[in-house]
Amino acid sequence: MDKRYAALIQDDRVHGSLYTDAAVFADEMDRIFRRGWVFIGHDSEIPRPGDWVTRQVGLEPVIMVRDRTDAIHVLANRCAHRGNRLCWREAGHGNGFQCIYHGWTFALDGSLRAVSHKAGFERDRADMPLDRAAQVDRYRGFVFANMSGDAGTLHDHLGAGGRDLIDRLCDLSPTGNIRLSAGWIGHRVESNWKMWPESDSDGYHLDFVHASMLRAQPDNYYHDTVIGGEQANVSRAVDHGGGHVELDLRPSYARELAWLGVGRDRVSAYCEAMVARYGQERAERLLWDGPPHGFIFPNLFLGEVNVARIDPIDVGAMVHAHTVIQLEGVDDALNRRLLRQSEAALGPASFIVPDDAIIAERMQLGFQGLRPPSNGDARGGWIDLSRGRSREQREPDGKRVGHISDEVTNRAFWQHYRQVMESRA
Amino acid sequence: MSAANLPEAVRREIEAFLYLEARLADESQYDAWEKLVTDDMHYWVPKGTADYDPNERLSYINDNRARLATRIRQLMTGVRHAQTPPSPMRRIVSNIEVLAADDVAGTYTVASNFVLYELAVQSGATLRIWPGRVTHRLRRVEGELRMSQKIVELVTASVAQPNLAFLI
Repeated sequence: MDKRYAALIQDDRVHGSLYTDAAVFADEMDRIFRRGWVFIGHDSEIPRPGDWVTRQVGLEPVIMVRDRTDAIHVLANRCAHRGNRLCWREAGHGNGFQCIYHGWTFALDGSLRAVSHKAGFERDRADMPLDRAAQVDRYRGFVFANMSGDAGTLHDHLGAGGRDLIDRLCDLSPTGNIRLSAGWIGHRVESNWKMWPESDSDGYHLDFVHASMLRAQPDNYYHDTVIGGEQANVSRAVDHGGGHVELDLRPSYARELAWLGVGRDRVSAYCEAMVARYGQERAERLLWDGPPHGFIFPNLFLGEVNVARIDPIDVGAMVHAHTVIQLEGVDDALNRRLLRQSEAALGPASFIVPDDAIIAERMQLGFQGLRPPSNGDARGGWIDLSRGRSREQREPDGKRVGHISDEVTNRAFWQHYRQVMESRA
Repeated sequence: MSAANLPEAVRREIEAFLYLEARLADESQYDAWEKLVTDDMHYWVPKGTADYDPNERLSYINDNRARLATRIRQLMTGVRHAQTPPSPMRRIVSNIEVLAADDVAGTYTVASNFVLYELAVQSGATLRIWPGRVTHRLRRVEGELRMSQKIVELVTASVAQPNLAFLI
């Protein structure tokens, strides 16, 4: 049990040094990213045996690959011999991996297949596979990995709340399947990675940070769901437990398909296919509610039709990488609409996230020079997260909910973070 | 009329258009810049080289005329924090090649290289360097050159980009 974090993370405030202390960052890479479950990608990105993509887990480069048995592996992108990086492109396809340093070849499951000049090879090939994530599991195509193997099951990590978020996204497809086939756009931000689970689930900042987007896009659905005054707005901030959080916009959508920005007449074939799959009542519910706006601890953002992952770079830099869902079983025009919608919302040139990035970078600058209170710096440097604490409520299933503008989600992230950082010491 | 025997005066006119377009973008003169585009403008900053279908894969920017109008409307609100204040910028435009010309129709395809220097004053005031290649499609509208397409292929397009909230 690491007691240091209790002094930095209180129920209603956290200390700014958590964003700037390199020792904290090193702890996170081990306790959260290596010894916990992290989102890697989606199985639709590697549809055929031999397909692979490169990713990172914390700072460690990995390859997500599908083998001939359709099993998915998360392998270290590092030759088991001398550590040379095996794959340096974003994606590829092949029968295995060959290191160009000394020609060692590895199978799709990471086992060592052949060594050049084998007379001098002094080990057993079976003892020299690529390092790999000890646990890899999928939920509705979303691939997660745990490098250390002692993080319990993915089912337990996601919990009912995390699974429900993913279900509500995938159920928007009339086949129940989505594809992440549109490529990833990386947005580099000079901020600590933790500002993104916070910002992506903050329902309090829209009218200020995104004032320009709201003025330029008067028909944007955020007008109904996140703006509109504290009394009028009935959207909710939700703590699902396990660090998974949501801005539940469903109660305040003014009409069906608002999240898609069209009426039923424009997407009638889609609506009919949804009814055929789910029945009238459930389809109408899904088409009204739309995709979730949630964050799955520690690195997966489900931002309506967007899927984003947080890649830390160092204590003061990270990449917010996103793609857009493509629905199976719909016409191309609908998927093109989703692409265009995503380009407007996320990415370095979009109408929304660049303004969040500025806030994150300015916060990062604001925290420079802070030292933890335990080091004798009692000047402050605290981040206040008390908003709405006395009006949040616990539902029968254990969820905590509050007003959309309340810091329920931020408190939920930090409480889970503290528990992980203390218990995995 | 082909690109090879383009009259010198037209070549000069095309160059002048590129320099004007670059200067208005550098100086964040959004209104004046927007007057240079046609009603069917396509503004595309692909992820990587411009050899894929933007209807199947994401791009940094893939604006039709309406989306571009929204982009400019947002910049002109004065509260587009990612460009408040606007970045001081200067770009060097060079290696101009007229790739195709139809002087009767008044349409020209022009490629050029650029290096843009941006001071990101909105946060850390770092100097950012944006090298790339632009392909313009120009069209004569009521005698004046206008652009109907601008494709910007960044040298760095395959890796994560910092905020790109200005007109590139």
